[in-house]
This record gives sequence, structure tokens and C-alpha cells, in this order.
Amino acid sequence: MIKAEPRTILSFLHTYFDVVRDLFEFQAHDGLISREAFDMIVKKHGQQNIVGKLKEYRIVRNIGSDYEMRDVYFKMMEFLLFEFKPLLPETIEKYKGAISELYMKIRLGENHDREILQERIKNISHQIREFVDLVERNAFRLLSETRDLKSNIERVEYREKVHKASFWIEYYILPLNKILDVNHSESVTSKLIEVSEYANRKRLDFGDETIRTEFEKLYGQLIQTNQDLLRQSKILTNELLPLLERIRTESLILTGFIEFLRNPYKVDSPPLLKGSRTMVYAKDMLFKVKEFFEQFETQESVYYEETDLQFDKWIFDRELFRNQLNADLPVKDFFGWCSKMLLKDFPHIETEKFFAITGLLFDEDLNVDFPKKEERTVIETLNSRISVPKIKIENAPKI
Amino acid sequence: MGGKFILSNEDHYNSLKENDKFYQEFFKLSFDLDMVMKPEFCYLISKDTQENFSRDVCIFVAVLCYELDKDGQNFMEMMDYHEFNYEEVDRFFENSSFIDLIESNKALKDQDGRRTLINGMARRNIVHKSFEDRFIFTQAHRVFIDFAKELAMRKMAVSKEGESA
Repeated sequence: MIKAEPRTILSFLHTYFDVVRDLFEFQAHDGLISREAFDMIVKKHGQQNIVGKLKEYRIVRNIGSDYEMRDVYFKMMEFLLFEFKPLLPETIEKYKGAISELYMKIRLGENHDREILQERIKNISHQIREFVDLVERNAFRLLSETRDLKSNIERVEYREKVHKASFWIEYYILPLNKILDVNHSESVTSKLIEVSEYANRKRLDFGDETIRTEFEKLYGQLIQTNQDLLRQSKILTNELLPLLERIRTESLILTGFIEFLRNPYKVDSPPLLKGSRTMVYAKDMLFKVKEFFEQFETQESVYYEETDLQFDKWIFDRELFRNQLNADLPVKDFFGWCSKMLLKDFPHIETEKFFAITGLLFDEDLNVDFPKKEERTVIETLNSRISVPKIKIENAPKI
Repeated sequence: MGGKFILSNEDHYNSLKENDKFYQEFFKLSFDLDMVMKPEFCYLISKDTQENFSRDVCIFVAVLCYELDKDGQNFMEMMDYHEFNYEEVDRFFENSSFIDLIESNKALKDQDGRRTLINGMARRNIVHKSFEDRFIFTQAHRVFIDFAKELAMRKMAVSKEGESA
């Protein structure tokens, strides 16, 4: 009888988990916790004062002068840490005997005491649960061992790998496969299928309603059990049995992936770009908006020097010059007329302005007459002398 | 860009390569991002490495490679040249011995999740979708292959240290 409340024990385990884990690991390795090891572990964590509680809460018990972690806590730690010890299939096969015997007694005692029948159905259900649990744990451990061989992080030689693989196959994988092989009449799985068929019939036609309900529960459990065992059997066939073939090849990349898949949430995956999007209702939205606007708040002064250069703002007024040209028609020397027009307004002729006016020549309405003789005129602009032909512009012919 | 890989057969890859130094500095100063330039592709990485997408893709690629190898295929060749179809990928995942891990991951646990993940990979140029239900890996998948190599080397170094200690 433990005086402490269950919550107190759980809280104790939570507080001193590291000590309990070390004790568990030592026992998993050595089978027992020697007194020296026990003292060393509690001392390492500076928790010598908890020895009394470890005994009071029945977490450990004395075996002579040494210690042993009680089975219920050992199994819980195994489950929590996912560190299962591989069991020899002989240990698992014992369930076949227990299940077969209970099944036989249920069948033979159908018409006897109702309460014992009910109890036997509950017991067979319990045995099945334990059996599936052990198979799953063993398959998990075997997978882990075989992945170690495939990953080969210690880079052991091929010969040694084959030796290890042969050991696992001979003593663990093949016997487990025999237990799970549904086509084998002596396998536990085929026995479970037989029980399942029987439970299916009885859940429908058994006279007593309470027993019918028990058979119903058993049948539901067996459907799930058979699915789980089928999955484990598939793993055995696809992954564990061809182990020798699979360890022939080795790859550094595959080693990396296997190591990553052991616990992908404890390894940093390759960094990529993490997109960020801020919702308008996000808590920090106000600060982000402020930050955005703050960058425009203090604008730097920008200075620019004003140039002293005077720009000539003369713009060629095509309409004006066109009207003037029309008024002066006929013109004997078009380029001479252009220079005369410019000299009216300016003291000298700028080349750009001169060329701007000469553009009038392309007016389609003008009647341009190109001279047959080569007569040229020279126009002097501010920075050049331009020799141009004398071109006549006649009045437009009247139609 | 949404974290897209720029592949060497794309026009802007060349301009990034020619002005590598400028763009390195530009992304670093403007957005605090690092630009990684590889002979086959280029991509940006952010400071914050806790990224679910990367982890999901990594698990996807790792399981696929493991299952391809188990199936007796040369997984490296398959990753480089094979056109995968959804049905084939589903078969690998549903029969995988990593089923517990797969079922605990939202992006991988069912067909719809895997389709969404593959579409996400296509958006980032990690895969190229040849048809609605088919895809091939682009050279960008090498990020995950290199990651596996580095992880293996690290683990092997730790194992050696342990032996010699």
C-alpha cells in the first residue's frame, strides 16, 4: 500500500525524471542496478535525499544489496523513451498457448457458468492486447536494428554486417515471421483469425445479452488486431526478411536520410526562405506601420545649384513662318529667305534655328522648284558656313 | 519570389551569376537574406531556419529515397531523371515502415496533404509538374541530398570521436 497520492508519484517522476532515466538505462544494460551504480547515479544528480522516496513509491526495490526498477516503471520508461529491448520470439509465442487454452475453455464452457465465461472472454482479450503490444515493440526494435545496419554509421565491414544481419534474421526475424504468417496453420495470427470468426458468430447468436456484448467487444478488438498484425507482417516481408540483400549497397546519402528520419524534429532541416506576411490584425502591425512611415519623417535636405546659363527659349513657330512664306511668294532663294527672316529678329543666325526654319521645305503644299543649273548660296551662321543650293518656291498652281 | 529556386536554365539565373557580388550585397542589406549560388541553381535563405516547409520536404525526399532503395531502385538516378506519378508515390508512403512518422505529419499523412506539398514544391521549383498527376525533380532537390550527406558526415565524425574517446 502506498500512502502517497498517484498525482504525487507522477509529480515526483516528473521532477526527478533524469535520475529515473539513468536508473532505467543502467538496468536495461546490466539487468540490475548495483549498489555502487545506484549511489553514483543519485550522487551525480545531487539527489541523495530521494532514495527513501524511490523505495516508498515502489519505483525501485532491494535485491540483496543491489537494486531493481520495478517492472511497471521499467515498462513505462521503455514506452516513454521508445527504447525496447528485442524479445526472443519464444517469449512472444507463449501467448499462443494462453490464447488457445482460453479459447478452448470458452468454447467448451459456453453453456456453463455465465460469470466465468465472461471473465474468460475478458482474459483472452487481455492476452491478445499484450501479444499485439509485444509484436509491435519487437518489430519496432528490429526495424531500428536493421536500419542501423543499413545506415552503418560506424562503417563496419561488409562481412561483419552480414554476420549481424544473419543473426537478426535467424533468431528474431524468421521466428517472428512464423508467428505472424497467416498462411501457417500453427501461427498465432491464424489462431486469432479462428477466434475472430468464432466471436463473430457468437456476438450474433449467443443467448445471453451480456455475453453477446462481450463477444461484440472481442470481435471489434480482433478486427483491429488482425489489421495491425497484417501491417507488421508486411514490414517483416518487405523490409526485414530481404535484409541481407538490402545491406549489400551503401550510400552516404541514405545514411544521412536514415539518421534524419530517426527524429526529424530534433535536426535542423536545410534553411530556405521563410516568407513573412503580416496581417492587418496582427499585434505588431501598429509598430510595423510606424516603422514604415518613420523612414519618411526626417527627410534629408537636398541642395541643387542654380546655373547662371541663360537658356534661349526660342521655339520655332511653324504656322507663323509658313504664313510669312506664303505672303512672300514667289521666293527665288528659299535658304536666303530663311536667313533673312532670322536676321530680322536676331543679330546673328544660329545653326539650330536655321535648320528649324528650313524644315518648311518639306511642306507638301509648297511648289518647290529645284534649279537645273548649279547655283549655290552661302549662309553664315554663328558657328558654321553652309553652302546650299538656290531653291525657288513658286506660287501654288490654281486648280 | 516566394522562396523560389532559380534554375540554371532560366534567364535571370545568368544575370544573377554575372552580378553575383552585387546581388549578394543587395539581398543582405535590403532584406537580411543570404543568396546561395550553386552551379545548377540559386536560392535565398532567411535567418530564421525554423521552417516547416523545409522539414516536410526533407522528410518527403528522405522517405522516398529510402523506399526507392528498398524497392531495389537506384534512388539517385530516379531522383535525377524519373517521372513520378502520384499513385506511385502514394504506394511508397502507404507501405512505408515509417508510417508512424508519416501519419503524425500533417503534410504527409494523406493523399491530399501530399498533393498540396508537391504543389508547394512545384511553386518553389523543387519539382516540375509535367502533367496534373506527374512530376520530376529539378536540380534544386540537391539541397536536400547535400543536407543528407553533411548530416551523415557529422554523425560519422561523432561516432569516430566516441570510439577514440
